[in-house]
Amino acid sequence: MKRKYWNEAVLVLLAVPILLWTLIPIYHLFLFSISSKDSAFSGALWPDHPTLRGFGTIARQEHFYLHHFWIQIWNSLWIAVAVGVLTLAIATSAAFAISRLKVKGGRTVMNLALFTYFIPAAFLAIPMYKAMGVYGLLNNRWSLVLAMVTLAAPYAIWVLKQASDKLPFELDEAARIDGATPLQLFRLVYLPLMTPSMVAIGTYALLLAWNEYLYGYLLLSHEQTITLAVALGHFIAADDSPWELLMATGLVYALPPAAIYYAFRRYMVSGLTSGAVKA
Amino acid sequence: MAAIPGGVLTVPPRPFFQSQWQTWGVIFIAPYVLVFLAFVLYPVSYGLWLARHPESYVKLFADPIFFRTAVNTLIFLLVAVNLKFLLALWLSGFFVHDRPWVRWMSVLFLLPWAVPSIPTIFSIRFMFNPEWGVINSVIFRLTALDGPNWLNDPVIGLGLAMLTHIWKSLPFWTLILIAGRLAIPREQYEAASVDGASAWQKFKFVTWPSLRTLYLSSTILSMIFTLGDFNSVYLLTGGGPADLTHVLATLGIRYIRLDQVDLAMATIVCAMPLVLPLVWFMMKSLSRPAP
Amino acid sequence: MASVTFDSIFKSFGSTKILHGISLDIADGEFMVLVGPSGCGKSTLLRMLAGLEEISSGHVAIDGRVVNDIESKDRDIAMVFQSYALYPHMTVRENMGFSLRLRNESRKITEQRVDNAARILNLTNFLGRYPRELSGGQRQRVAMGRAIVRDPKVFLFDEPLSNLDAKLRVAMRAEIKALHQRLKTTTVYVTHDQVEAMTMADRIAVMNDGRIEQLGRPLELYDRPANLFVAQFIGSPAMNVFDGVLKNNLVHGLGTQWPIPAGTTAVEGQMLKYGIRPEHLELAAAGVAAEVVVVEPMGAETEFLVKVQEQAFTVVSHGRAAAGPGDKVFLWPAAQNAHLFDAASGLRIQ
Repeated sequence: MKRKYWNEAVLVLLAVPILLWTLIPIYHLFLFSISSKDSAFSGALWPDHPTLRGFGTIARQEHFYLHHFWIQIWNSLWIAVAVGVLTLAIATSAAFAISRLKVKGGRTVMNLALFTYFIPAAFLAIPMYKAMGVYGLLNNRWSLVLAMVTLAAPYAIWVLKQASDKLPFELDEAARIDGATPLQLFRLVYLPLMTPSMVAIGTYALLLAWNEYLYGYLLLSHEQTITLAVALGHFIAADDSPWELLMATGLVYALPPAAIYYAFRRYMVSGLTSGAVKA
Repeated sequence: MAAIPGGVLTVPPRPFFQSQWQTWGVIFIAPYVLVFLAFVLYPVSYGLWLARHPESYVKLFADPIFFRTAVNTLIFLLVAVNLKFLLALWLSGFFVHDRPWVRWMSVLFLLPWAVPSIPTIFSIRFMFNPEWGVINSVIFRLTALDGPNWLNDPVIGLGLAMLTHIWKSLPFWTLILIAGRLAIPREQYEAASVDGASAWQKFKFVTWPSLRTLYLSSTILSMIFTLGDFNSVYLLTGGGPADLTHVLATLGIRYIRLDQVDLAMATIVCAMPLVLPLVWFMMKSLSRPAP
Repeated sequence: MASVTFDSIFKSFGSTKILHGISLDIADGEFMVLVGPSGCGKSTLLRMLAGLEEISSGHVAIDGRVVNDIESKDRDIAMVFQSYALYPHMTVRENMGFSLRLRNESRKITEQRVDNAARILNLTNFLGRYPRELSGGQRQRVAMGRAIVRDPKVFLFDEPLSNLDAKLRVAMRAEIKALHQRLKTTTVYVTHDQVEAMTMADRIAVMNDGRIEQLGRPLELYDRPANLFVAQFIGSPAMNVFDGVLKNNLVHGLGTQWPIPAGTTAVEGQMLKYGIRPEHLELAAAGVAAEVVVVEPMGAETEFLVKVQEQAFTVVSHGRAAAGPGDKVFLWPAAQNAHLFDAASGLRIQ
């Protein structure tokens, strides 16, 4: 009995440093964004005069760095949604071809796809930047969309293929005997049954694109086309930037993914780890 | 005995009717194949073709920051990734405790991974600002002394970049190792308890043998990902002070911004001796059947 | 309605040969059961008829039309799968009407035919439910309903009852049989269970190792098995079989002598397998000496496991047990019902 309490005490004691390590940078971000310029650096646990003025400034775009805030957040959203939808479309149909239609060479395609992840992301960015130049897509938001689809699709195909391998093959055979064409099989049987996995994967791709910095930084440069992430990066260019506004904007930028993550955490976590361990 | 009525014995030649399904298979997989060709295969081939000139390498090696960068990258890989995995292994042991509050904590714990890098890394950057950052303010208030120069010191700067990298990617790998631990049958632990094993013996004889393959392949995969980690260094130190904290990822991008594509590609080619063995290890551990 | 013809069907997966030249004619309206141990190729044969499996060589014809290169959907067949393969996201009504929907059949006709099939199968009250809300037997009936709605030329069943518990299996057996008697649609039914085969079939094809061992009506197979395999596969409990030699019109085996049926063509000195069904052995006052090992009272009949030397025999006798374990008894074989097989080829000796 004594031993049991001792165990619990150790667990709680361990929890404290883990939580501090995890939350301090995030709490600091939050604190900074509700502080006025001079009180932000005091080291107090709570600012003397917490203020939401920063957020108003952002919403009204009342600072040099924030002149295009709304268009930039719209860009981020547009790109994230486009990446989510496009990744889903491409990956679902590829998974269908590999797992259900057993297309010849399907496994090779999947292995090649996964090979993409053996190229470190920052290294792939350089030739990708060159290629986008060749395609004439630089500074066009489609370049970022296509780049992020390239990065999200292999994982999406892999997860969706695993999920679709679990559907009994007899369903397809029954549908074939019932007279379904491949297209009808896809639309009427496959898609409805894959919906839960597709929600998880769509969310994953969407967050990946929303959170991305490097590819946006390379591929987009015009004030009107950049995403919010790239715009935030611009703040750091000067030494006297309005840091509290930067932090407030950062908080605004970080909230949607955090919220989506909490809403879908069960899907995301099980989806992410599903392939890690061979059951 | 079985005669076909009417003697119709001519069968249309192959392809068998299933070829229609194969055709549809090709149509369904084609979009991804196009994406792969256009945005992976072509860029990589084109990039390697751009990196064919020996002069690029001469120029690259002549750049004084290149060797410093290579050393930084190596330290980053060996120290940061291994430290991260030791922590992840330990933390996964913490998070498998089945308590409601531990489950809630694990949700919080995943935050650094779930939120975008830019605001959080800037937040860390500001914490460590030597003049007005929270940390030095607190140090000054407590000791009346100036704190260290943090990000303006190349050694501390690189160290902090590594910690930032760990902070950001630790949750994901902990999650993977938690999944690995949960896949170990409970009976094995119960049997070990019955046999009188201590906690350490349980780890050594039950957990580690089951987890080892996952741990090693995750470490290697994480090293590959870490080579491509641009944010942790660029957003924290920007490669400074005096370009002393660059890693190959940020150096390559720096050349691109300076419009020196040949140098950027040469940087990547120079990273190949690091990447290829890792990929080779990875392929080997993936092709091995599960124990 | 239609006849089905298999003409020298071969099938191989790579270098493994699954079927070695199967020829089989199924008459219009016939209930044909393909039975055999797992891996004998019966399901492969059925799936070839369904168009789900490529035919390496040979022809399959439905109603005289070679269907080798015709898509499943154009073969006018319906299939009931072992796992039922119901679409989980559709209601019972949608499941049953799916094939008509794919054919762009009018809503009215679809509804009519689904309702009609539901009435036949007692599913009317379940039409709005999803498969997960149904019991195993109900799902099985929906799978059959899906087949009926199409009004196909041929029904195919692939082990449709193996996922049900024993009691339900017996009930569904009768239901399928009654359905066939009502619709009179040509049916090909695959099972590994010889009881299902015996009780349901008009004719049975016993398959083993990619060949048809024997084709015939159920009792034909039971009374006159063509070879040892069929003899031991058909009938439960299985036929007792042992080695012997024919001498002076008696089979010498297990240290004693056994009577043979009159008019046999077996020759003096031939090495034989002697087979006798459990119900053709009687516990009597005289005969072959044996020792009782286990007694299994079933109520109406009693099963004895007895030993003659080291050979185990099953004996079924009507009524209650007259002997207990360890008792010495005598077996009296009904000579006319004994089966003789050539020891080398395993073929029946008439």
